[in-house]
Amino acid sequence: MKNLRGWKLSVFIGVVAVSCGVPLLVQNDYQMQVVFRIALFAALGLAWDLVGGYAGQLSLGHAAFFGLGAYGLALLTKAAVPLWIAVFLAALIATLFAVVMGRIMFRLRGPYFALATIAAAEVLRLLATNLDITQGAIGVTTPALFSGRYFWRWFYLSAVVLAALTFIVNAWVSQSRFGYYLMAIREDEDTASAVGIDTASYKNRALLISAFITALGGTLYASAFQFIIPDNVLTIDISLQMAIITMLGGAGTLLGPIVGAILLLSASEIFKNQFKESHLLIYGILIVLVVLFLPEGIMGGIRKLLGRLQGAKRTAVSAAG
Amino acid sequence: MTGALYALIGMGLALIFGVMRIVNFAHGAFLMVGMYVSWLLFERFNLNPYLGFIVAGVFLFVFGYVVYLLLIRPVRDRSDFMQILMTTGIGLILVDSVQLIFGADYHQTNIELKNRWIRHFGLTFNAAELLSFAIAAVCIIGLRSFVVRSRTGQALRAIAQNRDVAPLMGINVSRIQGLSFALGIAAAGIAGGLLLPALYLFPSVGDDYTLKAFVIVVLGGMGSIEGAAFGGLVLGVTESLTSLYQGNQWALIVDFILFLLVLSLKPSGIFGRQRA
Repeated sequence: MKNLRGWKLSVFIGVVAVSCGVPLLVQNDYQMQVVFRIALFAALGLAWDLVGGYAGQLSLGHAAFFGLGAYGLALLTKAAVPLWIAVFLAALIATLFAVVMGRIMFRLRGPYFALATIAAAEVLRLLATNLDITQGAIGVTTPALFSGRYFWRWFYLSAVVLAALTFIVNAWVSQSRFGYYLMAIREDEDTASAVGIDTASYKNRALLISAFITALGGTLYASAFQFIIPDNVLTIDISLQMAIITMLGGAGTLLGPIVGAILLLSASEIFKNQFKESHLLIYGILIVLVVLFLPEGIMGGIRKLLGRLQGAKRTAVSAAG
Repeated sequence: MTGALYALIGMGLALIFGVMRIVNFAHGAFLMVGMYVSWLLFERFNLNPYLGFIVAGVFLFVFGYVVYLLLIRPVRDRSDFMQILMTTGIGLILVDSVQLIFGADYHQTNIELKNRWIRHFGLTFNAAELLSFAIAAVCIIGLRSFVVRSRTGQALRAIAQNRDVAPLMGINVSRIQGLSFALGIAAAGIAGGLLLPALYLFPSVGDDYTLKAFVIVVLGGMGSIEGAAFGGLVLGVTESLTSLYQGNQWALIVDFILFLLVLSLKPSGIFGRQRA
């Protein structure tokens, strides 16, 4: 925990404490379900941030890992694998898939990489739609990890735990040699590899961690809603959501994905009631606005503002002195 | 038969990528807008889609230019990352606005031509498909000769070759880029108008075509217009063969696997030169 010093540690503890207190304020199952999704997508955004934010690789295929987690859980438990083992086994399968995917795709750059990730996730979606084992578009049922009166409360808390663990991973990454390598790759891949960083290997490692967490998120989602179809867990919408949440909050920042998840999901909840099926409209508008006016996201913008204030103070002090 | 339409879609995308280095993730959405324009004309004014596509093309040319000015030009010099996000956002806005306005219902366009068959040389063609093939082929040849022959086309290619030197030669980069973006979008709109009779119309109908357009362009080599035409034909043939032997639902899977194979084995495309 040595990387979580000072105010960061206190912010972290504060956020976790507040998150744990949320269920006391929330009354009905619907609201509980919404806050569950917020916590879940905060975790997913943080996981995406490792690849998309720190390493700067625009993956639009994270739905592949999410869906593999979800379908893995469904199919493994059907094959009589104990529930909690199935959760981690499903995540491991997704990680294996990430190994293969990383091998192929990290040779590609920029738009080619983004396209390849989309294509890979789409292949999985189409396979799940057309194969018998996944029962195609009819979907499969998934077992619930928790049951009883506090059903949603338990799911919410596990999503918070997942988010908190991912936050710790990110906090470690952001101040470790590993993280610096990733950021060097983001800034200039050629230079990074010229100074001796094995860029492919580090990008792969980031993807593995990210895929594992994303798949865990997928199992949580599948188990909470107890029913999955390909168009639900393997769609590009999931990948986009993860990317947008992170970009909105600020890619490559610790708090960004959390801020992004809270803002985007509550906005989309409000719009869902207003515009029915067109709630993705708000995503589109937000993306365009963020790209135009806030390219570093909300946290990036705040950081810049703080930097400017500090700079102003410093010049004022030096002027006075 | 779909090959020529694919070629047209791919050429539009290749034009945008080649001249602007911008990857247009909203290509399918623009195609969908073209379909809706053509459909509206058919429903309201009973205009045949085989004439309506012209209006769709013109409308999308103007629309594309406006989108370029408002949204694309500001991100022209940003990273790939930002440009991809921007076009993705535009795509989402287009699809969901159309859904908001026209609803998510499926529409079908029935024209008499669709039920007419032409027999020749022992082969049977659907008259409607044959007509779209012919129109698409004319558009492809027209677009190609515009890019190769005309003065504006020369400027386009100059920017594609070297964006830093082109303005020194007195080329207005902004104007030419806007033009090429609008042309690319118009090509997608025309293809949309031509596709209308063959497909059910719904707001997210274009989504598959965005990816297909990329498959086409990558197959032929990113940024090469002739390559895109070739990629379109390859994709059309592959799809027909897969649907024939394995069933329709496998066609898209084969598309994507083909795409991943080309990307991992020869990212510059079948006809592409080695990238620097």
